[in-house]
Amino acid sequence: MEAIWLYQFRLIVIGDSTVGKSCLIRRFTEGRFAQVSDPTVGVDFFSRLVEIEPGKRIKLQIWDTAGQERFRSITRAYYRNSVGGLLLFDITNRRSFQNVHEWLEEAKAHVQPYQIVFVLVGHKCDLDTQRQVTRHEAEKLATAYGMRYIETSARDAINVEKAFTDLTRDIYELVRKGEINIQEGWEGVKSGFVPNVVHSSEEVIKSDRRCLC
Amino acid sequence: MAQENETPKDKIPRIDVYGFERPEEFDYAFYEDFYSRYLSILTRRAIKWSKLLKKSTAIEKSLKVKRYIRKGIPNEHRCNIWMIVSGAQVQMEQNPGYYQSILDEGNEDAKLKDAVITDLNRTFPDNVQFRKTANPCLQSNLYNVLVAYGQHNRRVGYCQGMNFIAGYLLLVTKDEEKSFWLLDALIGRILPDYYSPAMIGLKTDQEVLGELVKMKVPAVAELMERHAVMWTLVVSRWFICLFIDILPVETVLRIWDSLFYEGSKIIFRVALTLIKQFQAFILEARNFPDICEKFKEITKGRYVMECHVFMQKIFTEPGSLSNVTITKLREKHKSKLLTQE
Repeated sequence: MEAIWLYQFRLIVIGDSTVGKSCLIRRFTEGRFAQVSDPTVGVDFFSRLVEIEPGKRIKLQIWDTAGQERFRSITRAYYRNSVGGLLLFDITNRRSFQNVHEWLEEAKAHVQPYQIVFVLVGHKCDLDTQRQVTRHEAEKLATAYGMRYIETSARDAINVEKAFTDLTRDIYELVRKGEINIQEGWEGVKSGFVPNVVHSSEEVIKSDRRCLC
Repeated sequence: MAQENETPKDKIPRIDVYGFERPEEFDYAFYEDFYSRYLSILTRRAIKWSKLLKKSTAIEKSLKVKRYIRKGIPNEHRCNIWMIVSGAQVQMEQNPGYYQSILDEGNEDAKLKDAVITDLNRTFPDNVQFRKTANPCLQSNLYNVLVAYGQHNRRVGYCQGMNFIAGYLLLVTKDEEKSFWLLDALIGRILPDYYSPAMIGLKTDQEVLGELVKMKVPAVAELMERHAVMWTLVVSRWFICLFIDILPVETVLRIWDSLFYEGSKIIFRVALTLIKQFQAFILEARNFPDICEKFKEITKGRYVMECHVFMQKIFTEPGSLSNVTITKLREKHKSKLLTQE
């Protein structure tokens, strides 16, 4: 029996080759870190449940994508059905930061007619001594794009939970406010299994009271 | 007695003959059982092959050779036979000195070098021959083969996945130049364009597989459609890496024996066999993640470890699969994809 969840969100993880996309996802979904990880060839798939508030669980389905440019012909098919994305660069690799814009353009071009909520992730923050991108300039760029910025390390398990959970909360808020809607034929957001979805413990108590009347 | 208490795990080396560390979950007990049976097959095949090669050194395409190859090329002849049947040998002989000169040229291309270097440490970290500390370390040979190939075939350059293929070629041939010409045979002639920037050959073949599954294992095709699972998600690696790191090493090499001789339709045979064999298991999947998980599971375990039986299955299980059918399906899906773009 699968755990009960309120919504299911699909997220896509993108960014240059070797910025650490697979390692970040593995840390998040499996709690492990491998010193060396195979290059991702094509697209891979992971999932995990997160609790954004006590009792409120969201199921995340995460696409891991190949960073090498030519694989974009394969990976671009996966934007359309994603509601959120983590755009990674490696803080020790300036070029991967410069390519952020290109990744965003790529995403924009292929997500139509839907939209994706992105978070900009400066990865490998444990390697601070080799840093080539300052936190300040990354924050500035993220602000310009209207995204959050967060620095993570899969090796030292820094902010990995936070990166995924914050993004999940943001999307949840948008769904709650009706700015993102569940749509037929779109896999980005799906409603949970529970019939008569109970949104919080308060509502349960309220309805109980009503019954007593 | 200590010896009597020895488990298969104590007897079987942790590192296989190619230098790969056996994974944590390796099924030692079954491997021992399988290998004791396989050893007698290997011995029998070795005798047959040496007789065949004694008669004539020139291996020509014939039903007999095809049958011999389907039953497996003994390790000691593998490099030699691959070279001959793939046409790599002829190319190498007709182009003396070419490999070295193209390698020198490739070394001038910074972008190509960068792309190759990025993946050197990430190629077979579980193989002792590819470790930086190994002596000799195959990383430098791998670098050379990939840079030379990227320069030789400018349209393809370097595509991730080629590192694994060239790595296997080096493990089998132990020779850079031969690995280069075998890579050329695979990428330039045997496989459709899987690795060029548009990857149109790869996308086409995944559509073709989808259609073949529809014909031969319709329930699975229906399941994939119902849950909107794209074939690229579950089988990209099968095609791009030619089953490396998907199936056991010995099984991969046996598949490659026939791939070099019979061509790329062998990949469909392997894929269809896996899907058909595990049809009931795949159909247990209730949702999207389940399906992805099942497709990972079906490439593990005893069925694929038992490489000799598995190779018999791939020629019977999927039924007939003519080159004409494959060619037609490829044409159809390629033009469909091209109009979509």
